[in-house]
Amino acid sequence: MVVWSRIRKDFPVLNELYEGKSLIYFDSACMALKPVQVWEAMEYYYKYLGACGGAGRSTHSLGIETSLLTEESRQKLASFINAKSSNEIVWTRNATEGLNIVAATLPIKKDENVVTTSLEHHSGMLPFFKKCQETGSDLRIVNAKPDGTFNLTDFEEKIDDKTKIVSFVHASNLTGTIAPLEDIVKIAHEHGAWVVSDEAQYAPHDKLDVQKLDVDFSVLSVHKACGPTGVGVLYGKYELLKELGMFLVGGDVIEDVVYKDGKIIPKYLPPPHKFEAGLQNYGGMLGAGAAVDYLQKIGMNNIHKREQTFSRRLLEGVLELEKFEVLGPLDYKQRAALVSFRPKSDSMNHNDVTEYFNEMLPHNKILMRSGNMCVHPFQYQIGMSPAQGDGVTRASLYIYNTMEEIEIFLTALENFAKAID
Amino acid sequence: MSDFKERNVQCILEILKKKNPATTKEIMAMRDLFPDLCAGCSSGGDVILAVKQLVEEGTVQRKWKAEEGFEWKLLSDPVK
Repeated sequence: MVVWSRIRKDFPVLNELYEGKSLIYFDSACMALKPVQVWEAMEYYYKYLGACGGAGRSTHSLGIETSLLTEESRQKLASFINAKSSNEIVWTRNATEGLNIVAATLPIKKDENVVTTSLEHHSGMLPFFKKCQETGSDLRIVNAKPDGTFNLTDFEEKIDDKTKIVSFVHASNLTGTIAPLEDIVKIAHEHGAWVVSDEAQYAPHDKLDVQKLDVDFSVLSVHKACGPTGVGVLYGKYELLKELGMFLVGGDVIEDVVYKDGKIIPKYLPPPHKFEAGLQNYGGMLGAGAAVDYLQKIGMNNIHKREQTFSRRLLEGVLELEKFEVLGPLDYKQRAALVSFRPKSDSMNHNDVTEYFNEMLPHNKILMRSGNMCVHPFQYQIGMSPAQGDGVTRASLYIYNTMEEIEIFLTALENFAKAID
Repeated sequence: MSDFKERNVQCILEILKKKNPATTKEIMAMRDLFPDLCAGCSSGGDVILAVKQLVEEGTVQRKWKAEEGFEWKLLSDPVK
């Protein structure tokens, strides 16, 4: 049985007053807080190692231990998402970099196309937009429905035998929508297309099994999973990683660079090292390993179950007030643990809502994010205008939140609604 | 201070010279008047950071108005 109150103690920031007020951290969809265990793992690297790791670099004792521990972390990440092998795990800075690697190195021809959706984070859409601009390939957009869910028939219409890849978000950071990944993968594969899934908002909250889903590439940001900033993972089926071209080049990605008859002839390493140019974030990798250890010790199913209970109360509580428009599906089972909302009255800017909860409550600071969450296209699609100042406030939950915090927030939101009415 | 942040501080000052006081909503709508100064994502987070800095410095005063959100006033006689 998980003792959740003990878990909360692993996050010292939550046990301190900030400007004399208790913190309620509802911004985990942007950045999860870090438990003691993660920074201790990083501290070990900075305090006792501090050396180069990586393929065949420093072979002294500190270098060897750094390499061993970072490869152990790579294996932990592989187990976390059930990849077949740690060779399918590429270290990146974040999910955005992973998506850029796939897009930039994608072997696509002019008469082929890429399919994505209107609900993508800009990081899932723009790298492919850029690629298609460069190659002259067609970028096809599947529109999400106004409630943020999808019609599978829309994917069937857009995906054809000339589709090279489908890029889509498994759990939306704006609407919380959980997309039917298995069905989309099936449709794509029937046409020989690859699929890359953005797991930034899914993998930290529920068990991700890339083999079961048969997805070709997935990306995640470790900083949303209790890990350090600046560390992410690109998963790819090994044979497909081999098919991708080179991204950053330089040290650590080569077997040899021959110089013959005035010509340079580089010979690159196989995946995953071919994508990991230059010295890496070794301390961050150790922190990433500690983060997934931490989550797996709690159990991804336990995390998912608890978050569903909490997000149901949060969603229903906001809806019951009838003063706020909630983006996304209204069934909590179709959602991740986040709620993006805005006052129906349209009387104030979304930054005011967020700032009110940050500054104006007597005993608490409720920390949320406001804005457009880097998902502008969907908001334009449903009639909002980010350029004109339309936006939302987003409350997002994680393992350290409590039902008591949700009740404090809902009471404060009710008072806020009465005040602005 | 970075050039980016300095520009947004200037953006706020120019807006408040035109309309003082102004609500957040009004400030966001007036950003288009100073495209060379008002920088960052359209969601306006950078502008908020800049105006909060001006409050810290005592140049701008902030008032919560329940019906309209925050109102920001450029002080003729700064507090500090």
